Amino acid sequence: MSLIHFQVLSAALFSIGVYGVLARRSAVMVLLALELMLNAVNVNLIAFAAYGEQVQATGQVIAIFVITVAAAEVGLAMAIILRLFRDRASVDVDEVDLMKW
Amino acid sequence: MLFQIETVTNSGVQWAWLAPTLSASAFCAIVVLGRFLPKQGAFLSLLAIMAGFGVFWYVLSEFLSSGGGIFSVDWFTVGESTFSWGIIVDELSVVMLGLVTFVALMVQMYSLGYMKNQEGSFGWYFAVHSLFAAAMLTLVLADNFLLMYIAWELVGACSYLLIGFWYHRRSAAEAAKKAFITTRIGDVGLLIGILLLFNETGTFDITTIFHIAEQGGIGSGTLTAAVLLIFLGAMGKSAQFPLHVWLPDAMEGPTPVSALIHAATMVVAGVFLVARVFPLFVMSDTAMLVVALIGLITALITAAMALVMTDLKRVLAYSTISHLGFMMLALGSFGFTAAIFHLVAHAFAKALLFLGAGSIAHGTGDKRDIREMGGLWKRMPVTSITFGIGLLALGGIPPLSGFFSKDEILVAVLDGRGPLFFVLTLVAALMSALYMARLLFLVVLGNLKTENEHAHESPWVMTVPLIALAVLALGAGLLAPGLIPGYDGFGNWLFFEEPEAYHINFLVMVISVVLSIGGFAIGWALYSRKLLSADRIRERFSGLHRVLVNKYYLDDLYQWVINRVVLAFARFMALFDRIVVNDVGVNGTGRSVFLSAWRLRYLETGKVYNYALVMVVGVVAVALIWWLALPYA
Repeated sequence: MSLIHFQVLSAALFSIGVYGVLARRSAVMVLLALELMLNAVNVNLIAFAAYGEQVQATGQVIAIFVITVAAAEVGLAMAIILRLFRDRASVDVDEVDLMKW
Repeated sequence: MLFQIETVTNSGVQWAWLAPTLSASAFCAIVVLGRFLPKQGAFLSLLAIMAGFGVFWYVLSEFLSSGGGIFSVDWFTVGESTFSWGIIVDELSVVMLGLVTFVALMVQMYSLGYMKNQEGSFGWYFAVHSLFAAAMLTLVLADNFLLMYIAWELVGACSYLLIGFWYHRRSAAEAAKKAFITTRIGDVGLLIGILLLFNETGTFDITTIFHIAEQGGIGSGTLTAAVLLIFLGAMGKSAQFPLHVWLPDAMEGPTPVSALIHAATMVVAGVFLVARVFPLFVMSDTAMLVVALIGLITALITAAMALVMTDLKRVLAYSTISHLGFMMLALGSFGFTAAIFHLVAHAFAKALLFLGAGSIAHGTGDKRDIREMGGLWKRMPVTSITFGIGLLALGGIPPLSGFFSKDEILVAVLDGRGPLFFVLTLVAALMSALYMARLLFLVVLGNLKTENEHAHESPWVMTVPLIALAVLALGAGLLAPGLIPGYDGFGNWLFFEEPEAYHINFLVMVISVVLSIGGFAIGWALYSRKLLSADRIRERFSGLHRVLVNKYYLDDLYQWVINRVVLAFARFMALFDRIVVNDVGVNGTGRSVFLSAWRLRYLETGKVYNYALVMVVGVVAVALIWWLALPYA
């Protein structure tokens, strides 16, 4: 196992995440795809921390930060989606276009 | 002398800054805490100026024992130039320190009585008095032009506040504005002059500038221009022709304010400024000639106006301008000592006269027209005697102070400028004796008018300053010649370049005495004995009289210029502002943003994944550019 393997894994995860965000209609699925992207980043960070020129804990620390922030973000986003569902009985992102003029 | 100041810092030099600082603190304290204090905190102002007077005596004793010096601290540095706050203690600033603190103390004490009916603004009045004193003390002590300019502007601002003290009266508000704007015209000149000198020398420090100028570091053309611009500032503050128009109107302020402005602050600031930068003035013959000419013209035309005015305070105001003209004339005739001595002598006498005029107004129920007065000595003995002393002193009757100082000026003019200037100065001196005689015989002496039967003497807080000032107006002249052993006269102490003994020129002295006494004799004949009819003379010269009463139509000329030129230009600028700045510039910018937003907003879909897609494309594009542009490592 070398650095390149982790990078390939990370890139693959990230791309799946991007596809999910762009293609999914359900807001919950979009959120899941977003989590995938965040975890791709985590994999990358930890891989570099382990295989980098200087082995140090910075990568792990930032990864923990990312996990923490992701947890908060999911909490917030789920609350928004819940409100949306109560309002419109749907979580289809196509129907949510209030942000335009 | 001004050249050779070394930075000896004895404790007098070190602590002289206390004088302005105390008064400034009194200002702050009264403004913040005044309403909680008895008498609205007026006593703080008095205590501060009293302490300032004490500082003067301390500085004087230190100065006499171990000399003067400069005490300065760095303020801030910009690039190569360091700016400093500093004070200079030399003969000139010591004299001014004493004069300002003493007269301000007298005026403030007097004001306790004069202003006691001002319930609401009593504290504010004293607060501004304190600030005024602080500004003037800073001005006379400042060792650099920057600090001096700050103090200079502060003096102007305070005079605005005090002249317009009764701002609910339209005429007072207008007079305050007139004073501020007229002196501001001069101030612009002063600022440009200072900046010119800074541009040439890279410093605001006065003594450094003197040294550089002495070694020829400033081109003569630039020097003349800078000095003349500085003189413009002095003309504004010292009410020299043609910027004198604000001073008579400044009579709208409370009378003690007039006393302060005319004697110790504001108008003497101009004379002081010229004296302070005298070493630069003497390097330019043109500038000296201009100073002398402006002084002479001012002295002559305003003395003539003082002869025809009927308002007591206005007569005194024109007399002040005329005497300031004498001082400028003396400076322009190389009579440094004479000018400063006259400044001091005039300050005592003029403060006395204004306070006396205030006391008369107080006692007679706000009478200002001299034709309604007369015989006041029967009802107000202290005021009348002191007032009379002031009149005789400024009229130049020996051995009162005005005689000595005027004599010095006459000698200086004769030596420095020749017979033509001398003769014209004599004419002005004669007129000055004549209008003083007019006041003496019309106001103090003569018969008591029936409507003035109820006139009464003022309370002691008002008469004590009068007496103190009268003693000085009587005796200050004796300082000019050295009468006591060990004291060689004023000229051996305060001088420019080389000490000068008291000039005794018998011819000048005789002429001067004859003119003074002659002036009072003519006044006696005109106004007391009616041997000559003043009315007949007025009819004979009715044209001249009309011109004088209308102040040479200068006010009308200025009004015309303001209406026709300034306001027309202002209207054009207002139009420009409305159309170009407002409609095109400000509203135009806003409107164009609004319109483009109106069009562009249709690009927004509001769908989240559209925005996400754009973001992804952007990131990919950046990555591609990165990959293509950077060499593959």
